[in-house]
Parts: sequence; C-alpha cells; structure tokens
Amino acid sequence: MDRVAFVRSRFATSGRKRQARPTSQGMRRRLNPRSGQANIRRSKRTSAALPAAGRFKSARPAPSRPAGSEVRVKRPDSVPLVSVIIPVMNERRTIRRVIREAFAVHPSVEVIVVANGSKDGSARIASQAGARVMEYGAPLGHDVGRAIGAQAARGEVLLFIDGDMVIPAGQLRPFVQAVIRDGIDVALNDYSGPTAKPDVHSVVLAKHALNVLLERPDLEGTSLTAIPHALSRFAVETIGAEALAVPPLAHAKAVQSGLRVVPVRRINVGKLNPPRIARERVKPLENIIVGDHLEALDWMINRRGTRCGFEDRYRKRHYAR
Amino acid sequence: MQSRRKARSSDAKQPGLVLPAGCRAAAVVMAYNEERTLPLVLEELAKLSLEEIVVVLNGCTDGSFREARSFPGVTIVHYADKIGHDVGRAVGARMCTSDIVLFVDGDFRIAAEKLKPFIAAVARGTDVALNDISPYLPLFRDWDDVTRLKAFLNLSLGRPDLHASSLTSVPHALSRRAIERIGSALLAVPPKAQAAAIADGLIVRTAGSVNVVTANRMRNDNVGRDNEVARLIVGDHVEALKHVMDKGGARLSKADTSRRREAIARSRQL
Repeated sequence: MDRVAFVRSRFATSGRKRQARPTSQGMRRRLNPRSGQANIRRSKRTSAALPAAGRFKSARPAPSRPAGSEVRVKRPDSVPLVSVIIPVMNERRTIRRVIREAFAVHPSVEVIVVANGSKDGSARIASQAGARVMEYGAPLGHDVGRAIGAQAARGEVLLFIDGDMVIPAGQLRPFVQAVIRDGIDVALNDYSGPTAKPDVHSVVLAKHALNVLLERPDLEGTSLTAIPHALSRFAVETIGAEALAVPPLAHAKAVQSGLRVVPVRRINVGKLNPPRIARERVKPLENIIVGDHLEALDWMINRRGTRCGFEDRYRKRHYAR
Repeated sequence: MQSRRKARSSDAKQPGLVLPAGCRAAAVVMAYNEERTLPLVLEELAKLSLEEIVVVLNGCTDGSFREARSFPGVTIVHYADKIGHDVGRAVGARMCTSDIVLFVDGDFRIAAEKLKPFIAAVARGTDVALNDISPYLPLFRDWDDVTRLKAFLNLSLGRPDLHASSLTSVPHALSRRAIERIGSALLAVPPKAQAAAIADGLIVRTAGSVNVVTANRMRNDNVGRDNEVARLIVGDHVEALKHVMDKGGARLSKADTSRRREAIARSRQL
C-alpha cells in the first residue's frame, strides 16, 4: 500500500474536510480490518516499544486521504506525524467521542489509549474506535499514562488529552499546529483557572507559584498539568518522556531547558467537565498535585542552587549569626 | 497628619497592655534612613509597656540615629554600612531577653492599639503571631509574585489557613521559645524562619490585621514587578522550602503513593 500522509497541512486546518466522517469511517474500515496489513506492518515497530502488560489491541493507519489543495509529503506509511495520547480509566461514557475527535486532529495521526485500571470496558471501546490501546489491569496512578503513551508514540508532535473530556478536534488542532507550523516546543492550554477571587484552589496557586519560580510569571497559571497540550518530539526527548508522569516536573524541565513554552489557546477545562473538577477537589489528589510542584522545585534547586538563582547579594548574613 | 494626630490621641485613652505577671515584652525596630517616621513608630511603642526596645539602624545616613537617641531607654544598634534585608531582625532578636518580641519597621507608624494583639497572642501561648494581610489583598489574579509565593509556602507546609500571612511582613511577634528553637540567625531570612517554625511544631497563628499592603512606602528598589527586593523575597521562599525539604523530603507531607512510576521504566525497556 503506497499511502500518502502529510507532514504539514497548513490549509488542512480544514478540519471541515476531515470531519466528513462517513467517508473516513468507511475508509477506516477498509484500510483497517483487524487482520489488515496495517497491523502486521506496525507490529515490528510496536512490539519493540511496548511492554507486555500494555500490549496494543489494535492499530490503525492514518485516516482520511488528503484533499486536493494540500501539500503532500511522503512519509513512511507506519509513521504518523501526530500522536494523540489519552490516558483512560473507566471512561466508557466519553472515550468513543474523545477518540473520534482525536482522529480528526490531523490527517496523519495515531491515537494511543493507555487504559489502566479500567473495569468498564473502556479499553475494548477504544480498540473498536481504532486506537492503539495499551492496557494495564491495575491503575497506574495520576498521569503515569501520559509518560507511557509518550514512550510508545511515534509522531513528531504529541498531543495530550484526557479520556473523560470531549474537546472538539477544531479546538485541539491549534495546539498541534503551534508545534508543526510555529516551531513551538510546548503548546499549553492558556487556562489559568478561576483567579478573579480573593482566594484560589490550591492547585491553581501552586501552578502560579511554580511559574514565578521559573521566572515565567507571564505564564500565569498555565501548566503541563492541564490538558490539552502538545509537545514536539524534541521537547519530549529533551525533558524525558518519564517526566510527563509528574506534569509540573515536566513543565519545569521544559522551561528550564529553554524550550519554547507558549500558551496557545484557552480551553476552559474547568467549565468543560464539572464532575472531573469535583473529583479533583478531593484532598488526596490535590495533595499529590501540590507535592508534584514541590518535586519540580526540588529538581530546580538541584539544578540551580538553594535559591534557584534568586540571590540575596546585599544581605550580610555573617551579622546574623 | 490631621487623622494621624486624632488616632494617636484616642490611643492614649486606651488602657495599657496587660501582660501576665512576670511576662516581659520587647520590640525590635528596623530602620534605614527613617528619620521622619522613626519617632512616630517609637512614640507608639512607648505606649506599650515594653521592657526593651531595640532599634537596628541599617546603614542610616540621615538623622535616624539622633531621633532614636531622643527616646529614653532605647537600645540602638548602629551599622554604618547596610547589612541587607532582614538581617537587623536577627540582630535585634539576639539582643533581647524578653519572653515576647514584637518586630516592626521604622518606615511607617502602626498605632499601639493595633500592635497589642500580637503581643497578647504570644502572651496567651502563640509562638509566632503573624499579621493577617488577607483583608487587604486584591483578587488573586492581581497578586504580585511575592504574595503568591507566601501563600504557596503556607500551602506546602500544610497551613493553607495562613493564606499569604508571612514573617516577611510586619508586624509580628515571636515567643522566646520560638526564637530559641528556630535560632535567631534564621530570622534574617524570614520565610525560612516561618517554615522552620511550622515544621518544628511551634504554634503559628495570625493575631491581628494591619494594612501594610497599601501603606508600604514605595522605594526605588521595591517598585515594579520584577524588582530587586521581590527577587530577594522569592529566593527566600525557595530557601525556606529547601530548608524543610532537607528534613521532610522533596514532597514534604504531600507523598505520592498512588503513582506506579516503575511501570514507566518497564514500558521503556520493553
């Protein structure tokens, strides 16, 4: 099969075209029978990259053929340009729609679902929807799926979303485009949480504080903690995929490494998914996220010293004995 | 000026601070060229029945020394050169022997009546009596970097209830026990002293509420978002967290017990 994919589709922001779902669905079926060539071709690459515990249930070639006006670049058939990574834990209610939007983000895309501790058939649904599914029986813990998904990703751009939040492809595309087109390494959701109040949620506070410590107060409360965000392969390799399991640590590493970290578009994830926010208010998770920020700071201190570069040159401490 | 005089005359009618028998209180005043405000500050302190008043003059080139001398019973520590931010607090604390030490700045007057609650709180058993600045803060989005870090430090120490209250701002009062336990030297880096106090299990509470947010005198070096003083205070907070992390671990009490990080390494190997 001599299929053609895009490297870039400047005009292919023409999500409209890609959303011609009946066609692409049809094509998906044709190109990706369970026993199809695509699966076999991929297996070489993937078997090396994947753990026994997290085997792929199915794989699927990039959907929908390019439309006329777009720049076409030949890419090896099995290497997608964009990898969408979706950690999933019991997200049966939303996962199918989330995957559908993920596939519509770019013509050359793979969707990786890291299902962990799911007992509601999420993994099976994801697999049916065409995603590469890495399945773990037990829960991996908060955000570990992102790191594992990133390790398995083959794209040049890695887009991270959650399985419980349906964000239309049209809103996800700017993150991918920021990396492909604008050379941004880390495209953040420009969402700082509700801050027009006297007192904010502890996670919102921690994000703002970390950005101050990173000497990027302009980032306000934006962070790799919030989805959606997209990273270039270069960014992932610079910070290390494993850091993505502790998003504030990944965030700190990205900024300190001098990567281009830019908030690109605001998606109010607070409003989008109230149940999730309610869950995040539960103290233990809140504590973990605050702890993540401390872990990030600890990394910075090890790298930059006890005061992280904020020196007190004029303080004559010897008088204070 | 008019309102100031009024406030002072009404203070004068208030009864003096009543401390438990045998309980002695002191005040430490830091001053850097405050000849205009220093006498006003000392006048207020004179209304409290303090055992000791220590004025630390930090590289003053104006008439601050003369002004301080004009008050009887004031101990003056004079440094010809600037010793730097907050170092004077450590010096003053070391010089006092009282059970309670109140810390104020020489650059603006706080009515004696508003200082009493800090001394009273320590007299009642608080070790670190902080100024609650919450009522004077704007909406969070308009907080400056330093305020954000003050609140983050308290959150990290498991004391989100303290909001942005901090030893960095005055007035505050410390118990003798706190000074001894923390060590007076640590007071030169106020957030570090605060972190040490909380980590050490000392009783840290807000005791009063004085508006130092809008009242703070603007200086060349503390105006603007990214000024030198702000950077110093941000660094103090890093140092404070580092101090407690050395004992309590990088994540302090915020352990991450649910993440299976080993699964990531395994996933990479395969």
